[in-house]
Amino acid sequence: MTSSILEFRDVSFSRGPRLLLDRLTFSIETQEMVALIGPNGVGKTTMLKLASRLLQPTSGSVLLQGKPLPDWSRQHLPRSIALVPQELELPFNFRVEEIVAQGRVPYLPLFGSGTHQDHQAIEHAMEAVDIVKLRHRIYSQLSGGERQRVKIAIGLAQQPKLMLLDEPTQHLDVGRQIELIALLRRLNQQGITIIAAVHDLNLVAENFSSAILLTPEPGWIAGSTAEVMQPELLGRAFCVSQSDLAQYCVSPPSDGLAQVW
Amino acid sequence: MALKVEAKHESGHGTPHPGLGSQPQPGSRIRSNTVNLILLVALVLSIVLATSLGAVRLPVAAVLHAFLHPFSAGEAGEIIFALRLPRVLAAALVGAALSATGVLFQGLFRNPLADPFVLGTSGGAALGGAIGIFLIPTLSFAGFSATAVLAFVGSVLTMILVWYLARTSGSFAMETLLLAGFAIGTMLNAATVAFELREEASGSGLRVLAAWLHGQLSIPDWKQLGLIAPLTIGAIVVALPLAGRLNTLALGEEYASQLGVHVGRVRVGTVIIGSLLTAAAVSLGGLIGFVGLLVPHFLRILIGPNHVRLLPASALGGATFLILADTLARTAFAPTEIPVGVFTAFLGGPAFLYLLHRRSRESGQ
Repeated sequence: MTSSILEFRDVSFSRGPRLLLDRLTFSIETQEMVALIGPNGVGKTTMLKLASRLLQPTSGSVLLQGKPLPDWSRQHLPRSIALVPQELELPFNFRVEEIVAQGRVPYLPLFGSGTHQDHQAIEHAMEAVDIVKLRHRIYSQLSGGERQRVKIAIGLAQQPKLMLLDEPTQHLDVGRQIELIALLRRLNQQGITIIAAVHDLNLVAENFSSAILLTPEPGWIAGSTAEVMQPELLGRAFCVSQSDLAQYCVSPPSDGLAQVW
Repeated sequence: MALKVEAKHESGHGTPHPGLGSQPQPGSRIRSNTVNLILLVALVLSIVLATSLGAVRLPVAAVLHAFLHPFSAGEAGEIIFALRLPRVLAAALVGAALSATGVLFQGLFRNPLADPFVLGTSGGAALGGAIGIFLIPTLSFAGFSATAVLAFVGSVLTMILVWYLARTSGSFAMETLLLAGFAIGTMLNAATVAFELREEASGSGLRVLAAWLHGQLSIPDWKQLGLIAPLTIGAIVVALPLAGRLNTLALGEEYASQLGVHVGRVRVGTVIIGSLLTAAAVSLGGLIGFVGLLVPHFLRILIGPNHVRLLPASALGGATFLILADTLARTAFAPTEIPVGVFTAFLGGPAFLYLLHRRSRESGQ
């Protein structure tokens, strides 16, 4: 068995008559940090949902740790894989710690409350993303950056091996974006494989080991960041000229602030 | 590859996590056990008070004496055990059932405005019951009259209908939910009125139906109470593990499913238990609106939104609330009795509108 943690084999996905993903095939090694890039509506969220079994592929198969997703039990899958969604809105005034505690649901029996281990996992998750002091705050009253960290804490409380994040830097100012990427890198160094859909290409080159580029045809390119982040590939995927793209992406983005508008 | 998240310092053993267990939490919210104790005491006090108040005023001492010596209570005992206490217990059961249903439906629809009356399921139960009263009044299944069974079926069917009308891609549009509930509820009430107008309808059935439509609590016999009380309390107890799952469902159906929650089962379980409770409430008091909205709303402010705590607290609080409301309804304009449903509508209507106003302002920002 290889050290592949997530593998897509010829995965196609259609929504109605429209083919969104076409025979997507790649394998992600343990502890990689993968950026998922591509223009709006190209299927990034769909791909993350396919990887976490929220959607079923039209054809092909997805394997987690060498085992096809349909063979994973309902309780064991979320202990290995955590999906951090783009938006999380709560209808009631739940406190931060009550929300993070939901990450332990895959470990709980139907009756009975959490064990010491559950409580510790929640504490560790909140410490890792530095939200311990927010624990009694009402989630719906938090800022965008704070919410983002709470969502990641839910995922960490699941103690997953693979974390999927859908646009984690969206709605964040530049400072919060840099903090968030630094957090993801830290988690990655602690052993969690990361796949994140990212819009800002400036964040990708420096911080991610590999990238998957989804294009509208539909098509895809997967490989190391250097292989994927090539002007002609990106230009075609995003439908812009290479010179416009070059103006947007000033390299090297050493301080992460090097964007030109 | 195991996750290694290093803790900067070892956290204390048994640090309370309210989302998982039922331990108390620090902060401004009142401890759940304290609230439940206060609510329980309030319930007992309100039962005694409500039993003493009425056309013939009985001293509290006489009520307590009758409770302790039920077979030597004389004339007061007659009033208490034949008239007052059944009515008070009916109010308690209806209040508990409606409030618990409110909590369950609000969790399921992720919407604090969901209430069996607002969603139209009370109307569905009333129509089902009306069909039972007029078409097959003598039939019964396993001790339950056709009326009760059809009330349950009416509630379930209404819920399924509202569900499919209001559901759009994994979530519920608030407007659609409320409008679907309103339309169906109105249609069902109208159908029940049409039943009422049938000339061949029997006299006692007509009276029951009129009482239902106004939300007038009946004075049930002890046999009826003996059936509905265990059903109501049992349904609330069975709903407790579901309430834990409703906390996860607050994150959204997709998220809950991703966390391993069997969303479909939670949905079916909630609809069945909520419909049982609605049918129980309707069979005793008809269409009593907004109780399931008011009581959970105020308790949520006191103890927070955790459904595992909110469910028992709302059941206790709802029982007390409806006992007091019904006592007021039957004594305020004595000898005329106002149906308690009219009373709760006066209280709950403005509260509903206020919540609606606040929500539309929030979403407009």
